[in-house]
Amino acid sequence: MVLKINGKQYTVEVEPTMPLLWVLRDVLNMTGTKYGCGVASCGACTVHIDGVATRTCVLPVAAVEGKEITTIEGLGSESVRSAVQQAWIDHQVPQCGYCQSGMIMAVESLLMTNPNPDDEAIDQSITNICRCGTYQRVRAAIKTAAKRLQADTVNS
Amino acid sequence: MAGGIVGGGFALGLGGLAYVNNKIKKYSGIGMGDGTSLNAWVRIHPSNSVTIAVARTEMGQGVHTSLPMLIAEELEFPLEKINVVHPQNEGPYANLFMAENQPRDIQSNLTLQQKIFAFIPNIITGGSTTIRDAYDQQRLVGAMAREMLISAAAKRWKVSRTSCRAETGFVILKSDNRRLSYGELAEAAAKEKLLKNPPLKPKKSFSIIGKSIQRLDVPGKVNGSAEFGLDVRIPGMKFAVIRHPSSLGGTISGISNQSKIEAMPGVEGVVLIEEGAVVVARTTWHAKNAAAAFELKEEDRQSMGETEVTKELWKALKGKSSKVWEDKGNINQILASADERITAEYELPYLAHACMEPMNCTVKVDGDSAEVWTGNQSSTFVVNGVSEGAGIDKDKIRIYITYLGGGFGRRGETDFVLRAAKVAKKFPGVPIQLVYTREEDMRNDYYRPAVTCKMEAAIKGKEVAGWKKRVVSQGALAGLFRRNIPMSMKPEDDPSSTEGLRDLPYSMSAAYTDLTILELPAQVGTWRSVGHSHNAFFSESFMDECSVQLAIDPMKYRISLLKDHPRHRAVLEKLAELSHWNDDLPEGKWQGVALHESFGSIVGEVAEIELDDKAIKVKRVYCVIDCGRVVNPAIIESQMQSGIVYGLTAALYGEITMKKGRIVQNNFPNYKMVRMNTMPLITTHIMDLDEYPGGVGEPGTPPIAPALTNAIFAANGHRIRSLPLSKHGYRFV
Repeated sequence: MVLKINGKQYTVEVEPTMPLLWVLRDVLNMTGTKYGCGVASCGACTVHIDGVATRTCVLPVAAVEGKEITTIEGLGSESVRSAVQQAWIDHQVPQCGYCQSGMIMAVESLLMTNPNPDDEAIDQSITNICRCGTYQRVRAAIKTAAKRLQADTVNS
Repeated sequence: MAGGIVGGGFALGLGGLAYVNNKIKKYSGIGMGDGTSLNAWVRIHPSNSVTIAVARTEMGQGVHTSLPMLIAEELEFPLEKINVVHPQNEGPYANLFMAENQPRDIQSNLTLQQKIFAFIPNIITGGSTTIRDAYDQQRLVGAMAREMLISAAAKRWKVSRTSCRAETGFVILKSDNRRLSYGELAEAAAKEKLLKNPPLKPKKSFSIIGKSIQRLDVPGKVNGSAEFGLDVRIPGMKFAVIRHPSSLGGTISGISNQSKIEAMPGVEGVVLIEEGAVVVARTTWHAKNAAAAFELKEEDRQSMGETEVTKELWKALKGKSSKVWEDKGNINQILASADERITAEYELPYLAHACMEPMNCTVKVDGDSAEVWTGNQSSTFVVNGVSEGAGIDKDKIRIYITYLGGGFGRRGETDFVLRAAKVAKKFPGVPIQLVYTREEDMRNDYYRPAVTCKMEAAIKGKEVAGWKKRVVSQGALAGLFRRNIPMSMKPEDDPSSTEGLRDLPYSMSAAYTDLTILELPAQVGTWRSVGHSHNAFFSESFMDECSVQLAIDPMKYRISLLKDHPRHRAVLEKLAELSHWNDDLPEGKWQGVALHESFGSIVGEVAEIELDDKAIKVKRVYCVIDCGRVVNPAIIESQMQSGIVYGLTAALYGEITMKKGRIVQNNFPNYKMVRMNTMPLITTHIMDLDEYPGGVGEPGTPPIAPALTNAIFAANGHRIRSLPLSKHGYRFV
């Protein structure tokens, strides 16, 4: 099976029913995407499938063959962070950090479809669990990232 | 190491004393890279960067930043060029604050109790003690290193020490500004001996401490590179998933379908250990699937259900107490002669920790030595767990402590380390990562105890003359100690069960607290804020009930009882201002207040809610903290938010129940969490007094539940004496 992850091709020998989460973590050693519940309730396992935020702990890998998979490792680059990642640093969002990969992926996807989300849109789209309670800073960082991305759009 | 120290037959002759002193001071510097160590904490590289040993685990409370800040301030070294490493389990890194619950006096020799802690060594991150332990000592560490560097430079330039100054990683000769980097000086500096401890900078000279310096671990946590225990990847490793007995205290005597499991895809082995049945496989998923398919021969030992648990808790409240913990004035006489008496009885449930990262540990056994990779609040306990589980000498265990995906008191246990070591022993040379699934994690927690409490107030005129307080619990800290520390504690001697209930700051003629220990089937341990997590609910709900009875504003009434406690009073006065307590609230909004001191800090919170029949919106929380001197304000503010959300989740939804001797809840769908849409807006004010620092990790949690239920009472007159709120029919919007 060939998977397209972060712009690269990976050939893996796995059962088609294996959830993408475990292919990423245990076969490809891409551990940025996390295991939190295994029942798609917490969002720690969120990646993008063709740009859409998707939980991967119960998503069979066969379903994503041929699709563009983006993980947290694929955001930004070595030297330039994404607007969301930079906002996360400026607002010092993470605490323990374990939920943050999934949170950031959910936010990136939200901003792609809704460049200027209000509080209600944020409440409805960002449903990831954060046990450390960083939600207030997540919300503030979303608004900062949204503003910066809009400014970039205006300027470009 | 056999037994304890004192009373273990250890001969403290001259040779013995030298051995003890040596072990307390010895450090290996393993894992700290090249260059020269000036002491156990500071290693300077030729490149003029520094590695600091931080022997406290980073679980989101920012210690990998705040401790280096303390050192960097005195060392005169830029934080951006500092790298953090968790050292091996060695004497200098012990948590000496925990030895006596007192700041260590850096000018004196260690006390006997501190020496014991350093000898074991007891390295623990918990009890909100990190800054309280480190504040003076880590600054001294930086200052001493700086003075050694200055001495070395002065010798090289053949000038007096006072002709030199240290600045951002260089020693500079004042007269002509020539400079030598710390990297160039380190080797010579290490040979310098200081005749006495250098003085520490006064607060007004701080350029790092007191600032919201950005955390060193955050960049790795926004790009997926930060490594948690579950992320450890070593060539040749295997993944193991354990199934514990389904029933509390139960056992598994056999696996009926072992050959079928061994034949399942990816499975490399099946191991039955005392604690459970384990599948070892090439991925976590293969192991998880196989473990789920186990047909186990189980012996159940418990059959208790929720109704029985409640019944036993209430029965114990009426019986004889195990120990009296406070007896000031003559409470029975005060009650007998009271004009009025108020009585209230409360009940709180078991709570799970539910760390985002489920419990896990990776162990590799190689002959008579071992390596272990895990996130744990105590490297001491990790070494103990591997030693016990795999029969390895403690001195032959190399530890790698990762970031923790949440700790909250759960990750100071060693159950997962012990199990991983036992399995790894059966696969010599193979790194084994043992993982608890979310279900196993939630069902095999060390829960916050289930507790009942009876409060009685004697009213004389318009005053509360005395409180009689009785609490029933299981002994959380005693549990942790029994499992992990050679010094054991009888449950009734566990101070955590009555902390936050006894010795309250409110002026009263009499105060009495007793504790009844009730053993129940579920294992208990330390849950964020431990005894304060339940006792603040009791004392601050009851304080509200008293002020309602006396028809006095709850904020005003508390302030009037704090005449002898100016810091507590100041917190409430600031809180009243911050929350606009004395202004009229708009229609449909109500507020409730709670004040609680824990772990050396005083926290006041006001919860502001909207209530529509049974639909509650927790709109805002105002929080004021007096934690003495501030190291990093941004970290304190985020910890207040964190503690509040943790306590709020428990107040709204938190309940671990039993059915036929089995824990019912097993994952987030049946153990609900506060998420973005139910998150209140939290406003925090830090008092920033020039007093010795208090803790910050836990103090935000105790006040939120009573502040919330007090707000609900203000809204609809419903006095809530048990949690969670969801079981009273409330829903959260």
